[in-house]
Amino acid sequence: MMNKTTRIILWMIGILVLVLIPKLFGVYYTNMVVTFAILSVFALSLNMLLGYTGLLSFGHAMFFGFGGYGTALALKHIGGLGLLPAIGIGVLSAVVLALILCPLVVRVSGTAFAMLHLAFGQLMYVLALKMYRVTGGEDGIANFPVPGILTESLKNSPENFYYMAMIILCLCAWMMWFFTKTPFGQIQVGMRDNANRIDYLGYKVPQSKAVIYTLSAMFAGVAGSIYGLFLNLVSADGSLGIVMSFVPIVSVMIGGVGSFFGPILGVAVFKMVDELILRYTESTELVMGIILIVVMMFMPMGFMGLINLLKKRIKAWFVARAEMEKVS
Amino acid sequence: MNILETRDLHHNFGPLKVLFGVDLQVEQGERHAVIGPNGAGKTTLFNTITGTYVPTSGKVLFKGKDITGYPPHKLARIGIGRSFQITSTFTNLMAFQNIRLAILSKDGIRFNLFRRVDRMKRVTEETEEMLRRINLYEDRDTPVSALSYGKSRALEISMALATDPEMVLLDEFSAGMSKEETHDAVALIRKLTEGKTVVIIEHDMDVVFNLADRITVLHYGKILATGKPEDIRNNQDVKDAYLGDLEV
Repeated sequence: MMNKTTRIILWMIGILVLVLIPKLFGVYYTNMVVTFAILSVFALSLNMLLGYTGLLSFGHAMFFGFGGYGTALALKHIGGLGLLPAIGIGVLSAVVLALILCPLVVRVSGTAFAMLHLAFGQLMYVLALKMYRVTGGEDGIANFPVPGILTESLKNSPENFYYMAMIILCLCAWMMWFFTKTPFGQIQVGMRDNANRIDYLGYKVPQSKAVIYTLSAMFAGVAGSIYGLFLNLVSADGSLGIVMSFVPIVSVMIGGVGSFFGPILGVAVFKMVDELILRYTESTELVMGIILIVVMMFMPMGFMGLINLLKKRIKAWFVARAEMEKVS
Repeated sequence: MNILETRDLHHNFGPLKVLFGVDLQVEQGERHAVIGPNGAGKTTLFNTITGTYVPTSGKVLFKGKDITGYPPHKLARIGIGRSFQITSTFTNLMAFQNIRLAILSKDGIRFNLFRRVDRMKRVTEETEEMLRRINLYEDRDTPVSALSYGKSRALEISMALATDPEMVLLDEFSAGMSKEETHDAVALIRKLTEGKTVVIIEHDMDVVFNLADRITVLHYGKILATGKPEDIRNNQDVKDAYLGDLEV
């Protein structure tokens, strides 16, 4: 297929484009790319559960929100805290939440898993509203300091924020991709297909699920933490609510369940629709809903499935043409 | 020496009693067949031995060690493998990946998140070797859902054997196979299980008398007879209960 040199050149071009975006396109589009990257990592983390392990969660936003709240609270209350430790605290709180929940949730699957997460997600949402002394209730936590790594503050330099965010998020995406290629990634898809047989082959199913669950929560925590820093605001509705749980689910569905890059494609479609529709009408949800229905009915493997189908068709066409030429 | 023994094994599904005191004895290195009419409790016996169910009462001993109620993954790790009557493979994965999962388990590679599996040379080699032995090398990149029935059955059996167990229980491996496929499967099992203890459940009497060193006849949750194939063939009880009108 692709040889090493072309692959390296393609990577270089990709990295160059990412580096040049803030220089070429201005603040508005730079910020759009950051949101896109955050949501992509969030969707990828959900796809670790949904696409690769076959577990649908209606409450993935709780890890996203814990990441955000953890970072925001740490920066607000601990003076002089660096940026990376603050992100670390956010991620750690998401991981701790996952570790507390996993003994229970890894023993269920299917509808029970989904509904349990709906319940826990809503519980966290209500807690964030009720514990307003800590969380700021409906207003959330805003205006906390955002220290830079090399500079004083990232608040007024979207360019520096862009680089910080993109480095971390790309690293996360790469790690998640790498996991799918490891032996553990194989066990993961095996569990999705046939958990019973995985057990009979000598793997511990609940424990394996717990590891994936915690990793997935960790990456959702990273995304949530950076999202909070990016907006300089963490709120119950913005980071923890049910809407935030559905954003990655819809993205994964539209992009293509089970393929690694599907969720990223889904987020891209999501963002593009948002961007284009908002110019004409406020009701973006209506359009997204229609797209989702069309995707569900006519292309169950999402846009990624469509791309693969087109690839196959084009290849077949080329082969057919080559044979025609041979004959004549 | 008995590698597997059940002592007074009982199993009920609610009020329905399926096993009433089964004392199965399997010797090390033999091929042992469990036969009996439908509903005799053969599969239930397998399921209580291999951890699908915990028996209501009684004991299961493996090499003298009490393994009653062990979960499947624990049994797999001490050397007991099994295949299923209803094919239970990873249908969306390629044949290669199916066998590789078994090989990874055999090599004890479970929670490795730091190396790419396709760069693990030994695992790839062992998987390819296994695929060659079961004549599925050409189909390595075919999803199992697209394999023919005979091939997916062969994969089912070899997944149980690829983990290299000391004892393997095969639940009706020839179920639904044509005459030729059955013939190939018997040859495959002979080849792959050399030196291993094999317990099979089987309906096809040709297969049983061809493959088994000893036979246990199960009848309504109890053992009717155990012995060498010719003893079983001539046993009056067995003839009355089961073999009766079968030409064997």
